[in-house]
Amino acid sequence: MIVPPRWNRGHGYMPSTFETVAGIIAETCDIPREKITPESHAINDLGIDSLDFLDVAFAIDKAFGIKMPLEQWTQEVNEGKVSSDEYFVLGGLCANIDKLVAAKVA
Amino acid sequence: MRLEYFQMVDRIIQLDPEARIVRAESTVPDESPVFEGHFPGHPLLPGVLMIETMAQTGGWLVLATLRFSRMPFLAQVKEAKFRGFVTPGQKLEVGARLVQDGSGYAVVTGRIDQAGRKVAEAEIRYGVAPFPNETLRAQMLQMARRVAVPEAYLPEELASGG
Repeated sequence: MIVPPRWNRGHGYMPSTFETVAGIIAETCDIPREKITPESHAINDLGIDSLDFLDVAFAIDKAFGIKMPLEQWTQEVNEGKVSSDEYFVLGGLCANIDKLVAAKVA
Repeated sequence: MRLEYFQMVDRIIQLDPEARIVRAESTVPDESPVFEGHFPGHPLLPGVLMIETMAQTGGWLVLATLRFSRMPFLAQVKEAKFRGFVTPGQKLEVGARLVQDGSGYAVVTGRIDQAGRKVAEAEIRYGVAPFPNETLRAQMLQMARRVAVPEAYLPEELASGG
């Protein structure tokens, strides 16, 4: 049996969300698209630094019409309340983007 | 403008966080050590200082939008263009528009006009972070008064006190 990764249990993401995010990262950070997977950690695996992440965040906010609460997320990770995987592994990031998009529509 | 002190903005003439725009005016000084090097016999306001002028003008808009709760720090400049020479004594109008008010960052587009002609433009991105200390925050508030940021956009504890 294939056990889905923790971030994908019960709160998956839209495949189109991942495609958009991966495209943004590939273009903004000059990373080959094929290296970017839902399991990739933006910092640990892809080596995106804080300035590039600012670019990525801007492009994601614009593409989805949302405002990712990056300051809150960073604080939660720094305080050890949440694993950085929740927000920085792309599958987790996409799940959170979908939640923000859903909250906007609701 | 006092170039040596990086005081690029003389006076805010319009600041509207709801409309996401700011306009300011600045007069290039007649004399400055900067012109001794840039350039001998042909004084010009350096392009990097025009970027700084747009960044500071947009910065006041970001500060006002956040009611001075956090400080924008220059992080990125994109598509900067300098379309004309700016010389000592010229009066400049500087404008900026807030494109994105993100969490931990902000993006503005800025422009400088001289006598109705666009002389510079750029997209400017800031990292937005808590003030690192009270000294800086106090200085920024003092500067806000100097450049005439409307009282309504200063922190509430100051605005109410006049």
